[in-house]
Amino acid sequence: MEDGESTATDHEVQNHLAAAAKHIMMALKACRNLTDDTKKVLSDLNSCLPNKLILGECGGWLLIDSEEQIKHYGEVIMRWETELGMIWDHGDTEASSYLNAVTEIQKIVKTIGSHPMLLSNGKQKELSLRAHHILQRAMSKLKQELMHILIQHKQCFAPEYMSFRSHVEDAVYDESFISVEEDVIESLSSGDDSGSSSDKCLVNLIHPKAISSIKSIASVMFASEDDKEFCRSFVNIRKDALEEYLAILRMEQLTMEDTLKMDQNALSCEGKKWVWALRIIIRVYLRSERCFCDQILGEFGRVSPNRIFIEIAGSAMWQFINFGEAIAMGTPQPERLFLVLDMYEVLADLMLDIDSLFNEETGSRIGIEFHELLSRLADYAKGSFSEFRNCVVSDRPRKPFSSGIHRFTNYTMNYLKTLITYRETLNFLLHDLGADGLDCSPEPENGEEISSYVSCPLAQHARLLASLLQENLENRSKFLKGEPMQHIFLMNNINYMVQKIKDSELRQYFGDEWIRRLIGNLHRHANDYIRTTWSSALLLLKDHVELDVSPFHRPSHRSRCNKFIAAFEEIYKSQTGWVVPDSQLREDLHISTSQKVIQAYRGFIGRNFAQIGDQYIRYNGDELENLVLDFFEGSTRSLGSSRRR
Amino acid sequence: MPATEYQGSFLSRISIRRNQVVSMDGNHEQELEELEIFQKNISERFSDLISDDSSSSSNSASSSEPFLSIAWVRKLLDVFLCCEAEFKAVLIMGRDPSLISKPPLDRLIPELFDRAVKALDICNAVMHGIDSVRQCQKLAEIAAASLEQRPLGEGQARRAKKALAGLLSAMGIDETSGGHKSAERSWSFGRRGGGGGGVSVTKDRGSGQSRASTWGVPKNWSAAKQIQVMSANLVAPRGAEASGLAMPVYIMSIVTVFVMWALIAAIPCQERTGLATHFQVPRQLGWAQSMVWLHEKIGEELKKKEKKGASPVGLLEEIQKMEKLGQSLLEFSDGFQYPVPEEKLDEAAAQVADLTETCRRMEDGLVPLQHQIREVFHRIVRSRTEVLDVLDHAGKSSAPSV
Repeated sequence: MEDGESTATDHEVQNHLAAAAKHIMMALKACRNLTDDTKKVLSDLNSCLPNKLILGECGGWLLIDSEEQIKHYGEVIMRWETELGMIWDHGDTEASSYLNAVTEIQKIVKTIGSHPMLLSNGKQKELSLRAHHILQRAMSKLKQELMHILIQHKQCFAPEYMSFRSHVEDAVYDESFISVEEDVIESLSSGDDSGSSSDKCLVNLIHPKAISSIKSIASVMFASEDDKEFCRSFVNIRKDALEEYLAILRMEQLTMEDTLKMDQNALSCEGKKWVWALRIIIRVYLRSERCFCDQILGEFGRVSPNRIFIEIAGSAMWQFINFGEAIAMGTPQPERLFLVLDMYEVLADLMLDIDSLFNEETGSRIGIEFHELLSRLADYAKGSFSEFRNCVVSDRPRKPFSSGIHRFTNYTMNYLKTLITYRETLNFLLHDLGADGLDCSPEPENGEEISSYVSCPLAQHARLLASLLQENLENRSKFLKGEPMQHIFLMNNINYMVQKIKDSELRQYFGDEWIRRLIGNLHRHANDYIRTTWSSALLLLKDHVELDVSPFHRPSHRSRCNKFIAAFEEIYKSQTGWVVPDSQLREDLHISTSQKVIQAYRGFIGRNFAQIGDQYIRYNGDELENLVLDFFEGSTRSLGSSRRR
Repeated sequence: MPATEYQGSFLSRISIRRNQVVSMDGNHEQELEELEIFQKNISERFSDLISDDSSSSSNSASSSEPFLSIAWVRKLLDVFLCCEAEFKAVLIMGRDPSLISKPPLDRLIPELFDRAVKALDICNAVMHGIDSVRQCQKLAEIAAASLEQRPLGEGQARRAKKALAGLLSAMGIDETSGGHKSAERSWSFGRRGGGGGGVSVTKDRGSGQSRASTWGVPKNWSAAKQIQVMSANLVAPRGAEASGLAMPVYIMSIVTVFVMWALIAAIPCQERTGLATHFQVPRQLGWAQSMVWLHEKIGEELKKKEKKGASPVGLLEEIQKMEKLGQSLLEFSDGFQYPVPEEKLDEAAAQVADLTETCRRMEDGLVPLQHQIREVFHRIVRSRTEVLDVLDHAGKSSAPSV
């Protein structure tokens, strides 16, 4: 306050001057032509002005300081033109003094720009051009700095997001007919869930400490209307980073043609990668990228972060979309159902993220394309499911097969088990898929509690498929020689179905009533087996048979016994070679054979011991019972003819 | 979009056709007449693409779309979509589905599908090509914006020069494996798959052009090769086949290959060497006359470009213009010395205005063009599925299943 009257008066004078100058300027603006006299007065005024001010020909003022300022700040900027290296590498002080210099020059350029009349002054014009020149150099340098920072501070993903890659390479679907291994499929489906737990996070694609540097570069470049250059470099570098990341995820650029011609294994592998990579890319990478774009560009109204984001992400997204399209274009095949369901599920799961990343405001079709792809994948899945049903209906044996568990049963049941793991998706998709022939699946009996599992569309389809499989097996069994073998074949396979259903989640979908029916079928075939195998032999042991035959033709008890043993040996020889892999079933068959056959034999021997004669009884009941245990063990044996007679 | 404008007209034609077909089912004469109508429509549609203007080969202002301009290419795609819809009507509607599973169609349809799939890849490559044109457009905009400033000083000229050099090199390097000197140092990291640790300075990217620019198709994919393969087994049906369904299949194949060929010619695309000679439109057929003319015209342009030694940039009129203006303005900015004589400045200003106008046309046209190419893509996919469905039903009708 006290430091002076002089300051106060100086202020006063300056205020007066400013007011006067304003008047003069207003007057000058208002008047079109100046008379010579006026010009002279003004030019006198011009010469009177202290060196601090220069009056333009048309009137207007500019601080002469600007010349010094341009010189000073220009030096700061031009120094980096000759110096190698990057400004930001030299620390924050260098960077901020550079940015400050640029901002100051920008101010000068702006001042000059807002007074166009100044430019007719030769000196001013030259100053302005120089300032522009310096600014241009600065912008060019800043662009390089930007690219440098973007590359140097780029961050790779934390490995935890990468961890489930191993699944892709090991896990290839192999539910083809050739595969007999049972658990291939089950081991796979677990791979999908592991991804969902930790993947909702955002990561820093650029080190956080670089954000402010990038933003400050953005702000000076935008101030110089260099936003286009900024965005171009920004987009290109970020696009490269995304491409590089996709390469790390081993996503390959494929043509539609390549994809359509791919064999099942290669396709599964690519598809698995697709599923895995899409989740990481959308949920982690692109959401983070989007945040980064917002962080950097959000404050500048001139550029939409949305649009920049689309430019970065666009071509990668087309790559994903086109692979999906190529898959969906293929002929529906049962072998591809699970792959496509995986693709469908991951896409459906990501749809909200996709919608928020690629909303329609961006003018990009990517969001819409993903929606269309989702419905095409759904169609393909339905088509493949129908194909599977057709296959269960119409598959016919192509080569000879044994009475054991058929590969086709194995395949179909494993397929059913895998279907259950896609319960929610399939219930949604199969909801409107015509299930003609579903009536054959029984309604649960009154009193039995109908669980939601039993009544869901998937359960209905699963039961239909199991029924169709039974029909298929019945038809298939006709290719085997002789009724007994047909029954063993059906028992083996139906028993396998029962076990598969009972031991897995399938049980809930089939319901106890349905399983009871299946077991009932099993018993029917067991009875039929005994009947068709032994009836003629058992006839020999029945006493009342004698009544029907005339006494002259009546075979002796001894001969009947011999004939029975001969028949037994015959059956023994063939059926010891048959296989019943399930030990419980095998035991059951042994027991019922014993009950029906050995019991009858014992009775016959007991009743007719005397007539036959001890020396003619080659096997007692216990011996025969032991021989029955050799049945269905899979190694053909014969009872040595030496023991005869 | 023009596509929707056409929609009405061809849909009504289809419904008329369907009535005809249904009422005269199985009549061979009717079939012949239908085929004739189809050929006539093809011929008319393609002659629409020849404006009076371009046939007299002058480039004066005209109400119709300049030859090979964005607008013209979009019209070409509309023509394709119309022909395709009509083709499908001829092939499927009111037909006995078993017809297309019998010779000669049992052989021709899979061949048609093969070409369709290749066309899809071309669509993808061209979509990407348009992206790279947009990159060029941005550089041109930067150059135009700096040259528009007054007073025009060295700073602005330098900036323009950089952008233009980048523009021209981007036009060149997009389709060759490189070899063009890039005008600007740019930063890049190690090549693909390197894991992205090391930072290195490379000069192989013209003005910060993204390496991702080879996307859309694998690196060894060649657009020219696709055309060659697509047209390799194209044989006009003879004898009795010429009056049957083999004919429309043949016609549609020619239309597809021609349109794809023209797209590749117009828009930058990966590997186009030899494009001019890879495909010929059969000259003797009446319905193909307009196509023959267009093919010759585009072929001439291609050869002209190839002769110049430089690998051809897309023939798209806007690209050509951008290239020409870019070169001229590059010269201007390169030799820029303040002060510039008034008339030279005026001349440059006119060119800048031209360039700005070209950029505006690109801004307005390229995205819709991309959308339309995607529409073509989806149409091809859909048609393939529809024909496959018909085939499927034809196969199953003999053996009904559950």
